[in-house]
Amino acid sequence: MKLNSREQNGVIVLEPKGKIMGGPDATILKEAIRDHVNQNAKNVVIDLKEVDWMNSTGLGIMISCLKTVREAGGEMKLSNVTDKIKSLLTITKLITVFDAYNSTDEAVASIGKQ
Amino acid sequence: MLNKPEIQQNRITIPSDPALIREVDEFVESRLRERHLADTLIADIAICATEIVNNGINHGNKRDLNKTVTLELKLDPEQVVIVVTDQGISFDPQRVEDPVAPRNLLREVGRGIFIVKHLMDTVEIDRAEGGGTVVTLTKKIA
Repeated sequence: MKLNSREQNGVIVLEPKGKIMGGPDATILKEAIRDHVNQNAKNVVIDLKEVDWMNSTGLGIMISCLKTVREAGGEMKLSNVTDKIKSLLTITKLITVFDAYNSTDEAVASIGKQ
Repeated sequence: MLNKPEIQQNRITIPSDPALIREVDEFVESRLRERHLADTLIADIAICATEIVNNGINHGNKRDLNKTVTLELKLDPEQVVIVVTDQGISFDPQRVEDPVAPRNLLREVGRGIFIVKHLMDTVEIDRAEGGGTVVTLTKKIA
């Protein structure tokens, strides 16, 4: 998995690419979130359009990121969730835990509105 | 001690290093692509293969690099069979908590077998000869 990071309207947008299945993936994403939160950038969108699939380890990484952001008082949203990942979120009922949006623009715009 | 993945035909054996899970995925996907299966089917099988191998590395073998996890792929005309064997502590699926219970939704672990049971047609978990766990998965492809 590769990870690109950018800012959009004051929100950090993380763009992982590939598959999220464990091994080094956990460290890469968790450290990126922790670094941003430590720099007071607490609101994050994870854009999943380039993620082919993830397994339960990947879902666990997403939950860890969500907890880190929430504990810092921020919000984390998902965008461009592929059908494969959406079906995993549905099976595991994590669809009720994550806020998922069809586009990154929508996800960014939703921050601070709940 | 095995230092790197060892591939023999439709079998891959790896030391219990979580970083090697990607090699297992590449092995499984490459074999399935040779059969021209649909992308979504390949993804489901690869997800489940990585789930079971991750379990073997982390929970079975406790990341002991002296122990290995072996995945064997059997490609029948009508189904794919995956057999994963570790050398660790036998796995008792009854001890896994329900991952969709509200109290467990924010847990970071404990969903692997649950997902595999949803995506595969059959899942069998047995004790391996000499200890460890053998997990056999089947998925119909025709």
